[in-house]
Amino acid sequence: MGKKDAGAPKKDNFTRNLVVVVVVGVILIMLVPTLISKQGDKTAAIPASVSSSEGYGIVFNADLVGKPKIEIYEDFQCPFCAQFEAMAGEYLEDLIAKKEAKVVYHPLSFIGDESVRAANAAACAADENNFLAFHKNLYSNQPSAENSGEWSNDYFKAAGLGVGITGGNFASCVDNLKYQDWVVNVANEGGKRNVNSTPSVFVNGKLIENESIRTNQIFDLNKFKSAVAKG
Amino acid sequence: MRESLIKAQPWLGLISRLVLGGVLFIAGYLKVGTPDKSQMAVRAYEVLPISLANLIGLLLPYVEIGIGLLLILGVYTRISAALGGAIMVVFIVAIAQAWARGLTIDCGCFGGGGQVAASETKYLSEIIRDTALVLLALYLIRYPNTKFSIDKSPKLAK
Repeated sequence: MGKKDAGAPKKDNFTRNLVVVVVVGVILIMLVPTLISKQGDKTAAIPASVSSSEGYGIVFNADLVGKPKIEIYEDFQCPFCAQFEAMAGEYLEDLIAKKEAKVVYHPLSFIGDESVRAANAAACAADENNFLAFHKNLYSNQPSAENSGEWSNDYFKAAGLGVGITGGNFASCVDNLKYQDWVVNVANEGGKRNVNSTPSVFVNGKLIENESIRTNQIFDLNKFKSAVAKG
Repeated sequence: MRESLIKAQPWLGLISRLVLGGVLFIAGYLKVGTPDKSQMAVRAYEVLPISLANLIGLLLPYVEIGIGLLLILGVYTRISAALGGAIMVVFIVAIAQAWARGLTIDCGCFGGGGQVAASETKYLSEIIRDTALVLLALYLIRYPNTKFSIDKSPKLAK
């Protein structure tokens, strides 16, 4: 602006102010729906195995006492989460089956739309008592690019069939994004717990640093087992 | 020499506006669709209480887009440049404190963010880039008359 502009015609200021109003207006119009959708909805539909007191996670062996509690914050599109699943998946399934640990899965969705759809579909699979097999299936077929369009609702329905989920409930649950609001709640709870990377694994409430369970940058099952044993 | 500098000044201003505004706009645009990630990136600096960090993570991409647009269009250039420069100074301080405290995070400047392996941190280049953008902002605050801006009054145009 400077001194020269002090005497600028009023018309010019009008244009400038109009542009500012338009820019701010457009941004507010974009922002408000985001703010509303991030509010979360405490009355949102949740799968039977989900506990709001466990950060809306999908809980296995909920009533087990005196055993370690393992909490896993993950995103189905996150490559390190696929590596973690490849390393620890069967071990965790074994712990669950033998009732040797309480395990809580928190499917986050920070990578975007296909993570939301995957988390929703996984919750639908939980309703069919098939979460773990579906979970493993998704990770072993994780697309190489994020939000590439590969993980569509049709994909998840086929993946469900692949692990033996039949019947229309699962299909309509996937198609209707039945648990979309629950996915927001899981994300919000993860945020409140300061989960800043995935996978984030807690044993008995204590964060296990990913570096501490890796050998040469690769997840190491023996290190993870001893971290669980230490509690 | 001096004459040609004076002649070049509005053009340098235009370039400064487009670079600073363009970087802000793109940075905001790349983050605006993934609010969870943006919140995670702000939390990972471990400066603010979690609830405040989450709020800023939600709002920041929109603020960046807004200031970026105003700079690109050249509206209230001096004020917009001051805001853009101030944001960059905040980023530099945030990145420097993360570096000094030994955190291993991605700055989350253009999406991404959160904790990364120690070998993946790029603190120095992030700080150099943001410092260069602060210099552009300072230039615009000193010389806000630039080519092709809405600010420019028609009477002053030659």
